[in-house]
Amino acid sequence: MNLGIDLSVTLTDSLADLCQRVNQSLVVVQNGRSGAGAGVIWRSGGIVVTNYHVIHRGRPRVSLLDGNEFTTSVHAKAKHIDLAVLKLEIPETERSALPIAEIADSRNLRVGQIALALGHPWGQLGSVSMGVITSLGRVPLRWRKGAVDLIRTDAGLAPGNSGGPLIDASGAVMGINTMIVGGDQGIAVPSHVINEFVDEALGQAELPVAS
Amino acid sequence: MSNSDGNNLLEGLSKAMADAVEKAGAGTVLLNARRRFPASGVLYDSDLILTASHVVEREDGVPIILWDGAEHTANLLGRDPGSDLAVLRLSNPVSPRAEFAAQEARVGQLVLALGRPTPEGIQASLGVVSAVAGPVHTRRGGLLERYIRTDAIPYPGFSGGPLIDSAGQVLGVNTSGLTRGASITIPSGLALQIAKSLAEHGSVKRGYLGVRSQPVEIPQHQQDGLGRQQASGLLLVGVEKKSPASEAGLMVGDILVGFAGQPVADPDELFTYLTGEVVGRPTAVEIVRAGKLQKVTVTIGERK
Repeated sequence: MNLGIDLSVTLTDSLADLCQRVNQSLVVVQNGRSGAGAGVIWRSGGIVVTNYHVIHRGRPRVSLLDGNEFTTSVHAKAKHIDLAVLKLEIPETERSALPIAEIADSRNLRVGQIALALGHPWGQLGSVSMGVITSLGRVPLRWRKGAVDLIRTDAGLAPGNSGGPLIDASGAVMGINTMIVGGDQGIAVPSHVINEFVDEALGQAELPVAS
Repeated sequence: MSNSDGNNLLEGLSKAMADAVEKAGAGTVLLNARRRFPASGVLYDSDLILTASHVVEREDGVPIILWDGAEHTANLLGRDPGSDLAVLRLSNPVSPRAEFAAQEARVGQLVLALGRPTPEGIQASLGVVSAVAGPVHTRRGGLLERYIRTDAIPYPGFSGGPLIDSAGQVLGVNTSGLTRGASITIPSGLALQIAKSLAEHGSVKRGYLGVRSQPVEIPQHQQDGLGRQQASGLLLVGVEKKSPASEAGLMVGDILVGFAGQPVADPDELFTYLTGEVVGRPTAVEIVRAGKLQKVTVTIGERK
């Protein structure tokens, strides 16, 4: 029985460590009166991904949880998949200091695996909720032809979670929390959809292979 | 333990839960027995499906979709509105069937509620066991001996699906048809007992004694006579004519204190002992009459 208690303490501690680590790549996206949303530091060069609906009006300002604030330009946006790429306006020399999130391979997700949602529900910065992947699906796009993959989760979401990451048990980002359905189901756009969009936005169809 | 061990543990738990969903999901079927709102069912034998009674609106040729997308049909064998359970038989046997947990759910245990309301794939939500309790009177006039409550979200179409543990074993069957606005789980032991009766007889057999009663205190000196501590029993305030109770000589004013070797302290307890199992069986009933403990043998009838 003692082993059981040690395991659960270790489990609890590692959950807390995980959230603390990934929260370093989580940003607050302020957009005037529209309130706050979240975003993820996705790539080097100050590239942040958030939801289209978080930034679609006004000029977004981005800050880290440590309070460090940046002016930001909207680099690309896509209403039909509710995504936007932001570029933080900071000197080249400081850009490397931004902690980039680890991105999961979201083509191999499984129903029932742990899912943690990070964000700012009701303005509570750096908040975490836990659940599992409820189901994986594909839905028709709005405003244009085609369909898009999505992740459904029972991790509790609220306004302010939009644009924040849905992470797996290793802390890698499986997707961006985008929508709440029926009050108790969260919808996230999977990372492979986001990667395609970011590649397109940055004008590189394929990333150079790291050696 | 080091930090990385902890992280491995967390990833291990995550994988275990996904494995559990995959395993139990294979025994969870889509059941298209009402208009527009498919629900779920548990394959508990190669051709038998356990589900919630309230989702079964059509009784013959019910379309069933298995985990691999294979389409079958099933017919209703029986239903028990009191526990909101129903059993259907598939036209041909399939696999794999669900595995059931040997032990009852424990409060605080991690659980997953599963459902298959669409052909898209299995669905799951996470929670813990909030309570294991019973008996309780249900909305449909039944008495549920035992039930499980969890905080897992019961998404639309989850009724009739399983509640599983982190090893993928079925702890019970979920239904939102017994309590308004909430979902409860019928524990596996009870659900399988009811399913057996439904598959064999088309209904749940319940025992019939033929008495009306109310709980009364048993004075201390009479408890001494019982040879056990039992603070209350059932005062018989009515005995129906030609009932098993009257045939055995039970009378108004007797205090019923035991049934088949078990103490009986309130009417719900007596009800839970009057199962289909005891029908037709001579059963020892303990009564206190004129201050003295007596044993009477009653042949239990069937409640129609």
